[in-house]
Amino acid sequence: MDPKVTEVSQLFERFKAALVRNDFDTCSKLLSQLKILLIEFKSLPPLFAETPNAVQELTLARDIYEHAVVLSVKMEDQDAFERDFFQLKPYYTDVGNRLPQSPQEYPILGLNLLRLLVQNRIAEFHTELELLSANALENPCIKHAVELEQSFMEGAYNRVLTARQTVPHETYVYFMDLLARTVRDEIAGCSEKAYDSLKVEDARQMLLLSSDKELFEYIKEEHPEWEVKNGWLVFNKAKESAASCKEIPSLQLINQTLSYARELERIV
Amino acid sequence: MTQDVEMKEQQVVAAAPSNSTSSATPVLQHLKEIAALIETGAYAREVRRILRAVRLTIALRRKLKASVISSFLGFALAPGSEAHSRLTSYLPKDDQSDMEVDTAASATQATVKHSSELEIYCYLLVLIFLIDQKKYSEAKACSSASIARLKNLNRRTIDVLASRLYFYYSLSYELTDDLAEIRGNLLALHRVATLRHDELGQETLLNLLLRNYLHYNLYDQAEKLRSKAPRFEAHSNQQFCRYLFYLGKIRTIQLEYTDAKESLLQAARKAPVAALGFRVQCNKWAVIVRLLLGEIPERTVFMQKGMEKALRPYFELTNAVRIGDLELFKTVAEKFSTTFSSDRTNNLIVRLRHNVIRTGLRNISISYSRISLADVAKKLRLDSPNPVADAESIVSKAIRDGAIDATLDHANGWMVSKETGDIYSTNEPQQAFNSRIAFCLNMHNEAVRALRFPPNSHKEKESAEKRRERQQQEQELAKHIAEEDEDDF
Repeated sequence: MDPKVTEVSQLFERFKAALVRNDFDTCSKLLSQLKILLIEFKSLPPLFAETPNAVQELTLARDIYEHAVVLSVKMEDQDAFERDFFQLKPYYTDVGNRLPQSPQEYPILGLNLLRLLVQNRIAEFHTELELLSANALENPCIKHAVELEQSFMEGAYNRVLTARQTVPHETYVYFMDLLARTVRDEIAGCSEKAYDSLKVEDARQMLLLSSDKELFEYIKEEHPEWEVKNGWLVFNKAKESAASCKEIPSLQLINQTLSYARELERIV
Repeated sequence: MTQDVEMKEQQVVAAAPSNSTSSATPVLQHLKEIAALIETGAYAREVRRILRAVRLTIALRRKLKASVISSFLGFALAPGSEAHSRLTSYLPKDDQSDMEVDTAASATQATVKHSSELEIYCYLLVLIFLIDQKKYSEAKACSSASIARLKNLNRRTIDVLASRLYFYYSLSYELTDDLAEIRGNLLALHRVATLRHDELGQETLLNLLLRNYLHYNLYDQAEKLRSKAPRFEAHSNQQFCRYLFYLGKIRTIQLEYTDAKESLLQAARKAPVAALGFRVQCNKWAVIVRLLLGEIPERTVFMQKGMEKALRPYFELTNAVRIGDLELFKTVAEKFSTTFSSDRTNNLIVRLRHNVIRTGLRNISISYSRISLADVAKKLRLDSPNPVADAESIVSKAIRDGAIDATLDHANGWMVSKETGDIYSTNEPQQAFNSRIAFCLNMHNEAVRALRFPPNSHKEKESAEKRRERQQQEQELAKHIAEEDEDDF
């Protein structure tokens, strides 16, 4: 075995052990060392040199980045997740046919989809989705994220929340919690428009808060314009949309008419 | 997927020569005339002539035979030269006798000094022939050789031929499903074309790259390249159509439906009538995008000539969305799932589910002034463990997004629809009117700008002085329009 590969794998073993212990400081330190060592392998992206150890090195590097992604989730660091995921991605797309498929591939891809959903980057979500084969879409990890997106778009928020109980992988929990927060904001935004008023008790249930106190804090922080009146939550629905129709947008009309006149003159 | 891009040029009737004495091989005669056209074009540096030569070649395409081409090669290239021996090696060695006669006949004319334009043209001719004969591996070798040769040539008159070569280069690799291999090459060629200000080449190569990326569903990379590549006014209508189509696809995936619809419809409209496959493809995507936007395409879209059959699945899908019936939608999606997955629109159709619910909800809100949420759930056929709660949140989201005008009553579990206001009391009609006027005026301006007058057509009718006056006026008008445009935007 190549001495460099041995060195990296030994270091990687220590990293894995630290990850199991949830010793994040050691993990990050070891990870940066590993990343530096990986640079010396010529067979890795972007060079993809055909060295005799290529397959071994690629597999090792893929393994390291997969663990890096898991680490970033455990550390709840979304930026690191994005970075590590993009470093990992070429191993799935560009050299996927040279290596045996990693058992972690689908869970990590699903995790990434979930992250995009949480960050409300729906366009990127769909771009990633297009890259997946029909086979991949059947995988429970991917399917989970896809169904979540659908329920989210439809507005079936309680389906999103019940999905938390059925996470296919333990790493998903972190993002599901984040998603719950996004969902709460969405529900608040929708209720504001849909109801004239709500009972405090119902509102609390709808927003999935455990006590009235939490509800009032939430209102104070996010929606100070809501009023609480003897047990009822009153949304001051702005009626300005109806009012604005009454007046004529004169400036805009003048501009338009002038431009018609100019164009017509040109034609004649 | 191949059919849509092989947008064939409209068949140009090859100008039949009146003095065609050698009736034995009229095709060869034509080819020689084309060669002469290229020579004069190269000499006078007139790109138009070369463009015409390429068009005439396409018209001859079906009549090409190995023997004709090999004798033409003997005529156009110095026998024994590197290009000549390489190109002849690609051609199949059949009907030997015929060939010998022809080469003997053309040997006398071989003294003609050949230009590099003509050499490139020979590459193009052989390549087209090989692709038509389905000899893809030879075509790949031939196209790669031609690309290598092109790298050393930098002349504006070659650009037209080069852009064609690029296209067939990519096509030959696509037909053998090796598109990923040439991506790096195409990128390098695009860079070279940009440095040489070869706009036609850039346009063609950009499209080929987009196609290459989209073939592997790499929408992210495609969009990044597209948004950073230099843009200019289109030189070729075909290339522009393709560009619009790819742009529409990218936009669709990235959920920018309004822009996507515009590009796709424009692509479908601009495409030549002969390019049926391409137009069908554009229409399929346009239908889905319009459905996603909440519009219902008219029946005439599906009844266009030659498209009824291909658009049938999309027609049924539209029907399901129009009615807002989730069950029907599911059956249609399953029934045509093979079609949809071969069109690679499956993921888009999954997105449509949400629109089906919206339409159903809108129908309900129009028909009932007050309805219980349990009934809404029943009518929408939501199959979930907790239909009422689902219905409530779905309705509230629809209200927020402005899809329906209603309020919810949580205590009673009702949805109360508001009276639909008089639309003529709002600015809506005025806005619609304005957008139509703007469209018409814009079309007029584009038409004026696109007019091209042949320089000699008015010679007899008007004197030189008058013509000068007219040209001046035209120039002023053009300048005027350009200035106004700058003011507007």
